[in-house]
Amino acid sequence: MSQYNLEFTFDGEKVNAITGQSIGAALLADNQRTLRKTRFNQSERGVFCGIGICFDCLVVVDGITNQRACLIEVKAGMNIQTQQGSNA
Amino acid sequence: MHNVVIVGGGPAGLSAAIAAAAAGAPVLLIDSNPRLGGQYWRLPTENFGDQHNQHFDLDTGLMLINAVNARKEIEILNGAQIWSATHKDGINTLRVIQNGVEKIINTKNLILCTGAYDRALPFPGWDIPGVMTPGGVQSLLKGHAVLAGKRVVVAGSGPFLLPVATGVVKAGGEVVELLEANKSSRWLLSPFVMLENVSKLKEAFYYIKVISQAKVRARFGQAVIAAHKGSDGNLASVDIATVKRSLKIKKIRNVKCNVAAIGWGFTADTSLAGALGCKQRVAKDGGVVVAADENQQSSISGVFVAGEITGIGGAELSMAEGVIAGLSAAKFVGCKVEILKSHRKRRAKKQRFADALIKSYPVKSGWLTWLSDQTLICRCEEVTVANLEYAIDELGATDSRTAKLLTRCGMGLCQGRVCGRSVVDLVASKLKISATDIDRFSAVNRPIISPIPLGLLAKGE
Repeated sequence: MSQYNLEFTFDGEKVNAITGQSIGAALLADNQRTLRKTRFNQSERGVFCGIGICFDCLVVVDGITNQRACLIEVKAGMNIQTQQGSNA
Repeated sequence: MHNVVIVGGGPAGLSAAIAAAAAGAPVLLIDSNPRLGGQYWRLPTENFGDQHNQHFDLDTGLMLINAVNARKEIEILNGAQIWSATHKDGINTLRVIQNGVEKIINTKNLILCTGAYDRALPFPGWDIPGVMTPGGVQSLLKGHAVLAGKRVVVAGSGPFLLPVATGVVKAGGEVVELLEANKSSRWLLSPFVMLENVSKLKEAFYYIKVISQAKVRARFGQAVIAAHKGSDGNLASVDIATVKRSLKIKKIRNVKCNVAAIGWGFTADTSLAGALGCKQRVAKDGGVVVAADENQQSSISGVFVAGEITGIGGAELSMAEGVIAGLSAAKFVGCKVEILKSHRKRRAKKQRFADALIKSYPVKSGWLTWLSDQTLICRCEEVTVANLEYAIDELGATDSRTAKLLTRCGMGLCQGRVCGRSVVDLVASKLKISATDIDRFSAVNRPIISPIPLGLLAKGE
């Protein structure tokens, strides 16, 4: 397998990734399992279905909320944040 | 000549595209993934190297993908999400978003190959990060070369658990438990099916070989019935129960893991067909699928359906159906082409295998006994069993549709894709009635096929 070739941030911390990986995949590879907290119970959620069906892996991507981490390809310099509730 | 428009680039869609194009019809193939192959032949970008390691039969997939890419008659629209579909006066209108721009496609001739996704059953703790569907674990391996975690429990029911466990082992993970809720002896109920589907037998032996080399022992009649989080909020362990055939619990043990991949077969993604108004039916496993005639035509003239949306049956059945759908659509637009007896025979053989699958891996209602009052049913709207009970006992809901409206269960971003089927079963069991087909249809039909930002529409592109 090829080596890490790009860098992005998750809640301000640097994370390495490989071109072509989704945000969710890159974060799981970095052992970041909690991607958001729910709006009512503030409970932790992460990647569940992995294919864009369940909307559980929502993160904030460069300031835009409700983005599915499992579908969006990670890009160098992206600023990803844990989504708190609906972040609205 | 009008285009044949195909939705879905998996085994069915690829087969349909090639068959229609070979018959002389121009094809527009719309796929939501950036790369063709569907979930079955999910491929990463080129820089990940050879992917055969994570597939049993990648060569067939690569052959189909290359053939589709090579045909001039096939135009491909990938990374394209269809958010709305309507049918009026014989014309199907699809609203597609690709790279943030909306395209409107009008066509008389459609082939829907929208596939399926894992069926997840609710249980206490199923929302904890680390609990995943087997398809999710596999998509990370196939599409991104990422192992979801080091210690993986693979559980649920169905033959799909085998390739997922194999994939984890091949990627260097530890499968700490491989649990099939049903007994393997149930295959004896369909004695001839395995003999006529030797390729399936070979595939199963391949997985069993890899798994046993890694010293993983499959256990039958066991299921994950609860998950527990650690201090970091992520999955720390699961409760595994020995279950009866009904899925009722006999005894429980606890196992430490950081991923639990749990699936109970598949649910067909009928949203698009439902929005167009294609007639649906309830399959033997309780899932809603799209009705198709012997030419793969739906109840709407000119709208053909193939693959998992007509009934769960795997990639080989999907390909057999895809070829017939492709030929039928080509014929519909005026190409001189016939569906051969051999095409129908191949489909019938694969269909017998699919029927045997449903017989061998039933999901009995005993899972309802695993739930506690505080178990989440709707992950999106955080609706619990207790909330649904309140809607039934105190607010007078007498069917799942009313219970849904009163609790917002199934009305979140996934629009009931994950919980819809379970809510129907749960509400029916609380009311001590049988769920009707109408209950099941209403749980899977949704006006918006894929949620999109309102701003995109406001731009009016």
